[in-house]
Amino acid sequence: MKRKVIKKSKIPVLIKDLTMEYEVFAPVKQRGFVSFERVSSGNEACLEFQNTKKPPKEIFLPQTEILFSYKVSKNGVETTESPAVERKMVLLGVRPCDARSFVMVDKFFSSEETRDKYYSQKKENATIVGLACNHPLSTCFCTSVGGSPFGKDGMDLLLSDLGDKYLIEALTEKGENLIEKLPLFEDAQTEDNDKATELSKNAQKAVRSRVSVEGLSKKLDMMFEDPVWDQIRKKCVNCGVCTYLCPTCCCFDILDEVTDDGKRVRIWDSCQFPLFTAQGSGHNPRPSGREMMRQRIMHKFNYYVDNFGENFCVGCGRCVRECPVSLDIREIIEEICSAETK
Amino acid sequence: MDIKNVEKSWEPRILAFLCNWCSYAGADLAGISRMQYPPNIRVVRVPCSGRVNPYFIIKALQRGWDGVLVSGCHPGDCHYISGNLVARRRFAVLKDLLEYSGIEPERLNFSWVSAAEGEKFASVVKDVVEKVKILGPAERLVKR
Amino acid sequence: MNSVENSIRDVARKLLSEKKVDLIIGYEQGKVPLRTTPCFVNKIEDVEKLVWNACCDANLAKYSVGRKEKVGVVAKGCDARSITVCIIEKQIAKEKVFIIGVPCSGIIDRKKIDMKLEGREILEATVDDEKITLRGEDFKSVLPKKDFICDSCSTCQHRNPPIYDVLLGEKAPESTGVYEFSQVSGLEEKSTKERWEHFSEELGKCIRCYACRNVCPLCYCKVCFVDQTLPAWFGKTNDLSDTMIYHLVRAYHLAGRCVDCGACSRACPMGIDLRELLKKIEKTMKERFNYEAGVSLEKNPPLGEFKMEDSQEFIK
Repeated sequence: MKRKVIKKSKIPVLIKDLTMEYEVFAPVKQRGFVSFERVSSGNEACLEFQNTKKPPKEIFLPQTEILFSYKVSKNGVETTESPAVERKMVLLGVRPCDARSFVMVDKFFSSEETRDKYYSQKKENATIVGLACNHPLSTCFCTSVGGSPFGKDGMDLLLSDLGDKYLIEALTEKGENLIEKLPLFEDAQTEDNDKATELSKNAQKAVRSRVSVEGLSKKLDMMFEDPVWDQIRKKCVNCGVCTYLCPTCCCFDILDEVTDDGKRVRIWDSCQFPLFTAQGSGHNPRPSGREMMRQRIMHKFNYYVDNFGENFCVGCGRCVRECPVSLDIREIIEEICSAETK
Repeated sequence: MDIKNVEKSWEPRILAFLCNWCSYAGADLAGISRMQYPPNIRVVRVPCSGRVNPYFIIKALQRGWDGVLVSGCHPGDCHYISGNLVARRRFAVLKDLLEYSGIEPERLNFSWVSAAEGEKFASVVKDVVEKVKILGPAERLVKR
Repeated sequence: MNSVENSIRDVARKLLSEKKVDLIIGYEQGKVPLRTTPCFVNKIEDVEKLVWNACCDANLAKYSVGRKEKVGVVAKGCDARSITVCIIEKQIAKEKVFIIGVPCSGIIDRKKIDMKLEGREILEATVDDEKITLRGEDFKSVLPKKDFICDSCSTCQHRNPPIYDVLLGEKAPESTGVYEFSQVSGLEEKSTKERWEHFSEELGKCIRCYACRNVCPLCYCKVCFVDQTLPAWFGKTNDLSDTMIYHLVRAYHLAGRCVDCGACSRACPMGIDLRELLKKIEKTMKERFNYEAGVSLEKNPPLGEFKMEDSQEFIK
């Protein structure tokens, strides 16, 4: 597929053009951080950033989503489905780690076996424009878990920052359709391609944080009752920030809320919340932080591996940066790998 | 709140928590004495003003009640000795906090009305309804 | 700072070797610049891990609650006050905790630094009494420490723990001429509508992650009110009404208990300034009941008692 370039100065115009036909989500500056928001003009977006605070998963799987609403009257129960999502979206500036997380989460919400219509409608109508990382953060470890700062999984187009312009590469038909419609692109020259290749090589080396996950899943198979979990759980306060900011975490809860009418809503849930596994009988098989943290690690590096053959972590490092007590998942992995098992 | 947008016929709805021994009896006296007061209140009888959980007040505001009134015995006269004294501190903190967060102070009302004060009850209700009418329907904290 | 760090290690060593405590809870250096992480030491050789600096932000009182063993806790003024409140509320037995009091002149606010650096990553950081030196991939920045300490620290009235079992180092000078409720007063002067708009906007950013609740040492309820069912009082979605109520009720539950350690604001991933709400509760406690949380083991918390003469200007 052909490669094109677009001057950085033309990006605001590109965004403005896109908003004519699509809902455009791009990173927007907040107070000291950047987060995906819907933009209506090119000047709102900020593509000079390292990574967003919140991952873009909330665009397809919002924190709160009304599934349907219902009214009870003397005629019975009337349900009203949430309107189908027909609008097309463009997600601009998704880092390769976050794009890769879509591939993983799709396995639950948008696969042949399971299709969640609320998620799928949005996802299928979205074109994902990735943005390669020239400057990975010191807390990024994507290369240790099968990713790459110039990775192409989960996106329709990849932008590479060449300094004063972006190289844009279409990776899917959807991506090609997008750039074909817009006249702002010029053909890429050899030096553009060469520069991108060089930047990619440098970026790989720039991911300095290395975590060895070799044999981690097999080791975890034998460690369900290991005392290492007591060590790890000491400082964790089970707040849930890691799960909320994790691009691959997608557990949810379904509740009915009644005001004038009833609404069935889906909200984010977290294995760190006390009610996550609380049963109607009153029993909770994960009664303390020890079991909850174990669940998180096992899900990421053992259960998902059993089910889908890869780690459920993209190495974005958000949990490392945002943990209120600075618990570091990379340290946990090292502790587990070096723990002696019977 | 743009009063012009409110229908002329809008009447505020006030939820009133009345303690059984004093305020409820006072309200009853007002009724028996055929004293006229606005019909906008819905009464919830509680054993004591101390029974009123702040969650009730907040939930009422969330459910769209335009105003809340909690009324109990005068300090020193509580049937349960000190229920109203405990409540007094609780409500003070709650009122300060809700007002600070931007809920109109006139929506949260507290009074001491004894069993003999039928007239006072009528005048408290009148006062509350008048004040809430000026504010218009509750919007803040209302869950749609 | 260095001598206090050594004193902490000395005390820890002594307490462990004399078996006066089974566990020391302190801070150790984190892997990421400007961060420390809670450290649990039960072996004398591990005492060297303990550090003390302006990045020791966690409120370690959180870890002292509900323990069977005897613990020695490194506590700043705010942390010691939190422990005191927990003792008054019978969540910790006084004999089971040994408060290693540490004078503190302020903890660095990483959010303020992020705003200053506009999100550029810090790769190296050194902090001394006066300045913070930061190095990134393509920048070096030297910032005056006093401008980048937490708001809770700049208004702190207890830089030295009021209650402790041992107090290390020289007493830190208490702040003078600072009105600790100036932010609250500023908001009180605005109209009700303006305050509503302000709080709706701030609290509208909340994603209901409950980090604020979980880092707070005083949020120790086995079942938090948001998790209560039968009845489910308030919703768990990010509906603005439910979200505002969550924060209002949490603030209400902290009346007479919150010591303004700032841990909740620091933990919030969305950068919400929760202290704007919580400081008001503190102001109400001081003005109405002349009460400050965690400075005395004798005084009863205000919402646990009453007086005939209590103010009732708001009651008809």
